[in-house]
Amino acid sequence: MNTRAKVLIVEDEKQIRRFVRVAVEEEGCQVYEAETLKSGLSEAGTRQVDLLVLDLGLPDGDGIELIRELRVWSDAPVLILSARTQEQDKIDALDAGADDYLIKPFSVGELRARVRALLRRRNRQTESASPLVSFADVHMDLSRRLVTRAALEVHLTPLEYRLLSVLVAHPGKVLTQRFLLAEVWGPSHIERGHYLRVYVGRLRQKLEGDPTQPKHLLTETGVGYRFQP
Amino acid sequence: MRFTTWFSAKNYGHLQNIGLTVAACIGTTWLATPLLGYLDLANIVMLFLLNVLVVAVKLGRHPAILASVLSVLCFDFFFVPPRFSLAVSNIQYLITFLAMLVTALLTTHLMSVLAQKAQEALKREQQTQALYGLAKQLAGALAITQVKETVESFVKSQLLASALVLVVDDASGALHPIDTSEPETFDAHQAANAYERGTLLRHVDGASGGGEVWYLPIQTSVRPRGVLVVRLGASTSAETEASRPLLDALASLLAVALERLHYAQVAQDAEVQMLTERLRNSILSALSHDLRTPLTAMVGLADALFLIKPVLPEQALESAQALHEQGERLASMVDKLLDMARLNAGGVTLRREWQPLDEVVGTSIQLLRNALSKRFIDVRLDQDLPLLEFDAVLMERVLCNLLENAAKYSPPDTPIVLQAKTLGDWVEVSVIDQGPGFAEHQHDDLFKMFVRGHSEPGSSGMGMGLAICKTIVQAHGGTIDASSRSQGGGCVRFTLPKGNPPTIDDEAA
Repeated sequence: MNTRAKVLIVEDEKQIRRFVRVAVEEEGCQVYEAETLKSGLSEAGTRQVDLLVLDLGLPDGDGIELIRELRVWSDAPVLILSARTQEQDKIDALDAGADDYLIKPFSVGELRARVRALLRRRNRQTESASPLVSFADVHMDLSRRLVTRAALEVHLTPLEYRLLSVLVAHPGKVLTQRFLLAEVWGPSHIERGHYLRVYVGRLRQKLEGDPTQPKHLLTETGVGYRFQP
Repeated sequence: MRFTTWFSAKNYGHLQNIGLTVAACIGTTWLATPLLGYLDLANIVMLFLLNVLVVAVKLGRHPAILASVLSVLCFDFFFVPPRFSLAVSNIQYLITFLAMLVTALLTTHLMSVLAQKAQEALKREQQTQALYGLAKQLAGALAITQVKETVESFVKSQLLASALVLVVDDASGALHPIDTSEPETFDAHQAANAYERGTLLRHVDGASGGGEVWYLPIQTSVRPRGVLVVRLGASTSAETEASRPLLDALASLLAVALERLHYAQVAQDAEVQMLTERLRNSILSALSHDLRTPLTAMVGLADALFLIKPVLPEQALESAQALHEQGERLASMVDKLLDMARLNAGGVTLRREWQPLDEVVGTSIQLLRNALSKRFIDVRLDQDLPLLEFDAVLMERVLCNLLENAAKYSPPDTPIVLQAKTLGDWVEVSVIDQGPGFAEHQHDDLFKMFVRGHSEPGSSGMGMGLAICKTIVQAHGGTIDASSRSQGGGCVRFTLPKGNPPTIDDEAA
């Protein structure tokens, strides 16, 4: 990409804004700041940002509202910073359209890794869409429904393939359990969580080097799954 | 003596009636006399008949009989030829006399029946009004004591009897009066009988003058709510019987009122509980936010020191690293405290789902990557472990706590074993280290809050890890214990029930 990515930080605590700015600028991005929901929303619009880093505990409103409003006109990735540890808040944010989250406190290293992953998505989206996906020693050709590992074809059942293709279609993004069940099995199956878990386990068995310590098909406990290329 | 009784009110009224009757007959005679020339005797008789009718309506049975006799005599004496004598020339007039008498008797009989029925109707109306008033009061009652008072005063005013409402205690199942401080006695045995059988029991109470004591069960469609005890005064059996419908109506109104109050209380309790939970959750969330914000700033700014250009001297970077680590330690302690607060206060609300154990084992180890960076974790899970039903987030906390403890209390170059195997209806998970193990006498204390296995200087954690594990494992229906192994080292073991895992349908591959 020629131009620097534009990142907006919406966070009311000044010291947190400070170190997040340093970290994101280190990734080579142009950083803007906002302290409140209202100013955050207007900045996002006027600056046409490529990534939002958003604190859920803003004083003038629920961050989830901002996500919903943003999603009406933008699909820029949103990274949530959350102090609350109840899973439902994260699930709600993700369902509203957020892409990933970090629990406070977090290290700068983690922050940079997540920002990178989300910006990679944005870069990829501006390139021509490619049906080829690869991670570790696995290669997928979505146009031919072909999956190989170390050059040998891997047999996947139809549902396993569908699950894998949904996951790789959203690299870096946390996909909630509900979303995955609806996409792969259909809206009437959203109560059957055990199906999802067993099938992810099967995919890991077939595609990960160490299925018990996966590196690409990652679990977000209590929330869902994430594909990390 | 007899003279005075004779002049008592009743007898006086009697005398009055007799006087009036005589006056009426004389009056009729006096009225009819001038008409003798113009009217037939048959019509004159009608006047006397009318007289008898009026007396029957107005003065009752005995005056009416007197009136009929007197009327016959007057008619005979003053009108029937030969006049002014009691002889009867025409035997037909005997029929007249008989007819008059029969008329008198019939009329008075009908009149008295009518009067009685009217009185009964009036009484019933009055009772219905009272029941209506009672229903209104019961519907508006906000407390069970109001119900008790309403019922007692109703029974007193309508039946001149005393009532006692017994309700059943939910815990012990015993019947007791609403106001337990009342000394009123009742036969508990009889009351219990009535309650169980669901029918009215009547009992003659010799002690209080022979009146009956009734035990009416108070029943709704759902369940019996108590017993109404009514102590009727000595009265005729007819009156007692007549009270039955009224008491039945009372019992059913009472049942409805008690039921309503019960459910109102249930709803109120549920609401209070919900509000308390909501309040607690919001306090914990606010606390969490307030504690984590400065921690985040500290850890983040410490990290940011590494990004300063030109690069800071080595010593400064070491301090920055130490700051980061201390911040993370503090964060971990805050986590544990908030966990304990949430788990203790609210009871544990589990979000249980069927899932394989290896997934949560993987995420736990991943989370501790930094703390355990150089430790080797030997994961030995049985091949055919079934799906287990548990809350992934909480189980992750358990495993993290156990692994952290194992890492803390054993030499850094020794492996930590995490194993899981099926044992009958349970799955047993163990974390085994090669540290000093647990002292025999400490085994139970370890799982109490704020107790530490070893008081090493510089070791953090306030001794909450195991207490949290115990709360979570027990909430899942499992057990947890700690022991030392014969070959050295410590082992913390917990179990989870296998339950009935759901099946996965095979696809048409």
